[in-house]
Amino acid sequence: MDNHFKPKITLFHCINAFNEGASLPLTGADDFEMKIVKLPCSSMVKDVFLLRAFEAGSDGVLVLVCPEGECRYVEGNIRAKKRVEWVQNLLDEIGLNGKRLSICNISFGDEVATAQIIKKTLKDLDELGPNPAA
Amino acid sequence: MIVGEQKPIAEIKEIVASSKRLLILGCGTCVKTCFAGGEDEVATLASALRLAFKKEGREIEIEEFTIERQCEDEFIQESAPAIARNNSVLSLACGAGVQAVARRFARTPVLPGVNTTFIGVFESQGVFTEECTGCGDCKLALFGSICPVTRCAKKLLNGPCGGSQDGKCEVDPETNCAWHLIIDRLKSLGQMDNLMTYIPPKDWRLSNSGGPRKLVREDHII
Repeated sequence: MDNHFKPKITLFHCINAFNEGASLPLTGADDFEMKIVKLPCSSMVKDVFLLRAFEAGSDGVLVLVCPEGECRYVEGNIRAKKRVEWVQNLLDEIGLNGKRLSICNISFGDEVATAQIIKKTLKDLDELGPNPAA
Repeated sequence: MIVGEQKPIAEIKEIVASSKRLLILGCGTCVKTCFAGGEDEVATLASALRLAFKKEGREIEIEEFTIERQCEDEFIQESAPAIARNNSVLSLACGAGVQAVARRFARTPVLPGVNTTFIGVFESQGVFTEECTGCGDCKLALFGSICPVTRCAKKLLNGPCGGSQDGKCEVDPETNCAWHLIIDRLKSLGQMDNLMTYIPPKDWRLSNSGGPRKLVREDHII
């Protein structure tokens, strides 16, 4: 593993699942870069957006969606989950490893859970290493 | 509409292996509806291929373009400047579209990115079913507009085989028995007498079994 690896994460989120202005209880914030893309609903996250995040150099992509059954638009988070699964398979097919992409349900304002998800993503990326197509 | 499915990435990578400048050409009609070759699928495939090739250290320039229909010259013409900029085309149209584009551009390889599957309908979100075989001799008027040639596994034309159970085909229990559907439909239309009409053995020369077919409309030819 590259000791100087500073992971780049792109975070797509539904505006009803996460507030990008929230102060997350995260230590080591300088050890990674995070680009945030907010969406009016997680169903707006298209396959190509996820792939282009990797093309733009992200080592990992995280999608935060509302808890199941709580999507304001009924099924947006379910659609997002299906798209993420599709792209995970695509990433496996091209040898990038689908584990670089993940989706999590999160309640609005739950900064502790969000921080845990980001920590888990960083841990996964530490094992996966840099994006081989970056 | 024509229903198709995008080829696996590994196969597409092999097909375009010798390309240095590749145009991925989408088709905005049938294959767009079945999520195989519209603008979104072109963008996704282009991005996936760029990532795959970059990972392998291979250099390839990929351009994306989608036209309304790849089976008509009027629309194909719109892609001419993009085709001129590239040394091969990966068409996400059906087989007819691939060949129509190839016919127009003699010096550019036009490669298929989609497996053309069948003539079908959009049954529900994300589900497409085969409804027509293009047999060249349509008898739907007798069958309550349900085609046994396409939808009966045994292609029976003079009644059910007797093997269906609970309205499901004995060949594939996931499939509705076409004859069960036909009889239900004829009952509701009050056309059960249609079943007394004997259908002689089908002339398959009118289908693709007779070789490629051509439709000529003299009234449209000048």
